[in-house]
Amino acid sequence: MSSKRKKTIFDELKALLGSRVRADDMELQLYGKDSSVLSGVPSTVCFPLDAEEVQGIVNICNRFQRPFIARGSGTGLAGGAVPVGNPVIISTAKMNKILDIDLEDRIAWVEPGVLNLDLSKALKEFGFHFAPDPSSQQVCSIGGNVANNSGGPHCLAYGVTTSHVLAAEVVLPNAEIVTLGGIDPEPTGYDLRGLFIGSEGTMGIATKIAVRLTPNPPDVRTLLLDFADVSDGALAVSAIINAGIIPAALEMMDHNAIGMIEAFVHAGYPVEAAAVLLVELDGLSGAVEAAVETIKDVAKIHNAGSVRIAKDETERALLWKGRKNAFGAVARIKPDYYLHDTVVPRSKLVEVLNQVYQAADKYDLIAINVFHAGDGNLHPILAYDAREPGILERVHSAGDAIIKASMDAGGVLSGEHGIGLEKRDFMHLLFSAHDMFTQDLIREAFDPQGLANPLKILPSGSRCSDSFKQHVPEGVWV
Amino acid sequence: MNLGTTERQEFAASVAGTDLVTVVGGKTQWGVGGAIDPNARPISAPVGIYDYTPSEMTLRCGAGTTIGDIQNKLGEHNQMLPVDAKDESTIGGVLAVGRSGIRRLRYGAVRDYLLESWHADHEGKLVKSGGPTIKNVSGYDLCRLLVGSLGTLGFLAEVTVRSLPIPRCSQWMTGVCDPFELQSNLYRPSSILWNGIQVWVLLEGHPADVAREAEVTGLSECSGPPALPFAGRLSLRPKLLRELPQLYKQDWVAEIGVGLVHLSLPINNDQNSLSTMTVMRDIKKRLDPTGRLNPGREVF
Amino acid sequence: MSKNFKVSLGIDEDALASCVSCGLCLPHCPTYRVTQEETASPRGRIALMRQVEAAGVADDTFISFMDACIQCRGCETACPSGVPFGPMMETTREALADQTSYQPRYRRLGYSVLGMPRLLALGSRLIAVLQRLRLIPSRLALPRIPLRQTKLKASGDDVWLFTGCIMDAWMRDTHAAVKRVVESTGAGVRLPGNEAGCCGALHVHAGLTLKAKKLANKVIEAFPGTNPILVDSAGCGAQLKDYGHLLGTTKAAAFSSRVFDVHEWLAENLDKLPKINSDEPPVIVQDPCHLRHVQRSHEAVRLVMNQYIGTIELDDDGLCCGAGGAYSSLHPETAAEVRTRKLESINRSGGTNVVSANPGCMLHLQQAGVSIQHPLELVDSIIARAMKRE
Repeated sequence: MSSKRKKTIFDELKALLGSRVRADDMELQLYGKDSSVLSGVPSTVCFPLDAEEVQGIVNICNRFQRPFIARGSGTGLAGGAVPVGNPVIISTAKMNKILDIDLEDRIAWVEPGVLNLDLSKALKEFGFHFAPDPSSQQVCSIGGNVANNSGGPHCLAYGVTTSHVLAAEVVLPNAEIVTLGGIDPEPTGYDLRGLFIGSEGTMGIATKIAVRLTPNPPDVRTLLLDFADVSDGALAVSAIINAGIIPAALEMMDHNAIGMIEAFVHAGYPVEAAAVLLVELDGLSGAVEAAVETIKDVAKIHNAGSVRIAKDETERALLWKGRKNAFGAVARIKPDYYLHDTVVPRSKLVEVLNQVYQAADKYDLIAINVFHAGDGNLHPILAYDAREPGILERVHSAGDAIIKASMDAGGVLSGEHGIGLEKRDFMHLLFSAHDMFTQDLIREAFDPQGLANPLKILPSGSRCSDSFKQHVPEGVWV
Repeated sequence: MNLGTTERQEFAASVAGTDLVTVVGGKTQWGVGGAIDPNARPISAPVGIYDYTPSEMTLRCGAGTTIGDIQNKLGEHNQMLPVDAKDESTIGGVLAVGRSGIRRLRYGAVRDYLLESWHADHEGKLVKSGGPTIKNVSGYDLCRLLVGSLGTLGFLAEVTVRSLPIPRCSQWMTGVCDPFELQSNLYRPSSILWNGIQVWVLLEGHPADVAREAEVTGLSECSGPPALPFAGRLSLRPKLLRELPQLYKQDWVAEIGVGLVHLSLPINNDQNSLSTMTVMRDIKKRLDPTGRLNPGREVF
Repeated sequence: MSKNFKVSLGIDEDALASCVSCGLCLPHCPTYRVTQEETASPRGRIALMRQVEAAGVADDTFISFMDACIQCRGCETACPSGVPFGPMMETTREALADQTSYQPRYRRLGYSVLGMPRLLALGSRLIAVLQRLRLIPSRLALPRIPLRQTKLKASGDDVWLFTGCIMDAWMRDTHAAVKRVVESTGAGVRLPGNEAGCCGALHVHAGLTLKAKKLANKVIEAFPGTNPILVDSAGCGAQLKDYGHLLGTTKAAAFSSRVFDVHEWLAENLDKLPKINSDEPPVIVQDPCHLRHVQRSHEAVRLVMNQYIGTIELDDDGLCCGAGGAYSSLHPETAAEVRTRKLESINRSGGTNVVSANPGCMLHLQQAGVSIQHPLELVDSIIARAMKRE
């Protein structure tokens, strides 16, 4: 081999990272997929250990004009980390250190690969936690949470990721390392931190994140209400909020979801019920006790079969384990699932849920509903078997019907999963061409070359510099 | 057509043009960011509450609506917007300036209360960002960018904000104690203020809890917070507040756990060179290429 | 570039389809935890199996990815969809062993010795002598093997005690302690003859299913009758309980239904255990994977222990310690990295002494300086001390 051979991007990455850069076909396939139904194939996978290495990779990508995509734990549900345009995948999984816990400032600096639940476990001995708790919290990374502005059941009372991330060290698409936001209350300048959170890796890669620590509540009560009618359950949700209570979490699961979850956790979920509400109240004991009584009253008025109150931490954990593992349990019904993440006004829950069931019936699919009822964030799951011929068209049609029903009810496209690749072509239902043009103008300020996770969030055509739109990989379903 | 549609369209049309233009609210924080170019044509944002469903805990209104009107409306249903701004301030002004109220310790930053916005851009075109629901990650989070941008990137025409239930009981306490120790002894107090000697703390929630926590403080009840000095404002990481008594001889009141200091004399905020300056300038240039929106105001 | 070769894994199609790749298994996988790489995760391994099954070809890289799995089966208890990962991995390894050079002759020979009690005893004796002469390099990380062992004597015919291969050769004192605890309930313990030998667990893990079946048949023959068969090694217990599935005969199923982890049996007989007031400091319980994730009877250990002593839980959700049968010998580096996580968890727990109901875990952790015993060794010593006092 001639030593004058022109160096490939792989050669350069190899020189930077050694064995932490891979291009084996089999391995590449594994990084072609997240938890959504989409897949692609990257050209290379890199495992940097620090910001300087991320910077090095981004520099090389710039030189070779190659797209790059940051990936955390690969649990995204909208294809945000699915490769498009033969990209380099930058896995932040090995950057998984908790760098500093500062109890006086009530913040922690963490690397992006730290797993959400690992952080809360590490904070436990100090009496704190990280409030956003996506259902995938045992495996999703803080970097991924920042990219998607993740929510979770407890965001009803505590707010989503943007309310809990104060600052981030970011490698910008031009490979510059900057700090967005600050750990003081009013950092100078535009809130680039707020803009970056939820930008799904299209504005750079976070390499260090300052998160706010939330004190663990002195009192927690978890209640399970069961209903013979889904509508009663949905009406109870509004009634609870109307009573002036903001529960820490207010989750709903329908009959299909209950059966599937109970088969896994054996927590005594009432498998005959049409729906259950999982309600968590936390705070000081006076407020918690008063709220428990109010909810018992609401339960009676809205025909709940019973109100079960978790007697201890073990029972509480078991009930939550059921809720949080729901998506993963779908294979007990069908091996594949497609889900939406629309948010609708609470008062429209009954109406939209009915339309979800109708859509599933019409296309002969199984609908499973397990969602954040308190903030109207639906997660209608359409379970199917991809091996069945023609099934994808039906799933697609039913999904469209659900989206339409949610938008007609005055809702939004995604509450917490993000737009990614999967939902981007629905964006026009929510935003005008000019709205999206403006969003793209701002994105371009960060990434004029369009190399940072191209083709995500905004539909093709709305971008000024979509040079990769011709390269939507085979098999990708958009 | 939605209530408010005409108003925001008319407002956007009034922005259009090539001249310098500024949007005027309640002028309660008018000096923030520097003086407006006197040649700028003043306009004002639409006024009116268009939509309020208490069970959704969201309120949609014109950006020119005053905080007083909003609080009155929300109060009818025992709800509030925890921003602690003056009644005559407008919601658009409060968001554009982006300064949070003294209850930030518990309720978080004001930026987190903006759910959806319509703003008029430099061409007088309307741009919608965010969504009307209390949770939304559809598209880029322009709402966060607009809060605190002092109207230099666009003028808010209409906003949807999130409301909260008014706590059943609110009690200010005061006395002399270590404010930092006090913070760690209480579960999510609404506010802790300190002037180097005296401490004020606001407890909110269920009466039984407030009574119990009041006992923990060992302080005595009082009618409200002290008057806050307003000539200067300092933003520090919370633990640096400990060093304030050594640093400032003038009067000050600090927000414990938040890091804000209200000072009686202006201070020179040393202009740190921001690593993000290039991106910020680029954003400004893209959204307001001719610099006609709120000329004179400096955000960074 | 490694060479491609034809292979058909023969994994059940529905099982292969049942993974929705949600990733919830990742944090519960010891090899993912130390590498943070998809190729070392259950979700990734299943995706790799799918690739190979679809293409009908594999290469050495695929073999190395499969071989890196400890087979702790922690992913199975974590999987909300109940994906049968263990059987899928066993099928894969069987296919690789049958159709490729996955298990070379020297490895197969090593596994064979386990099924030859006399040879194993002789070999162990030899190692023990060489250890005394300091002729065994410490990097081999072998435990200190006793020079001579007291023969166990039967005490009745109520229950069987399964003695196995390595454990009988290297850790017979543990069997003796377990036997005394079982006897303290008033039960007589019967012992199998020498022909019982190895349970075949390591062979199944290595994909040597045929050999495992032969061993299983021998074991079944060595335990006539209908009395319960008690096992004090979690790995062996899990294997014996799986004979019904492995051999697919009613006879094997009947045998498996008689198998209990010794703690399971004791937990059913708590009232017969001697009552003793002890003031021992609490002890850390380290759950062997094959007790927690496969037999799912780890709670029984606590029930028994708590008759005599408090127990401290680790905060790692039952993550593997890295022993994994032969894994720690075949992949010493990964095994040590996995163990480091366990050691950190032990350090955080506030306790010092550890109990673990599996010889593999005991030896692996002991090599890292952990003070560790079989749970029933500790119970036995508490009972013995109390008896002495009286």
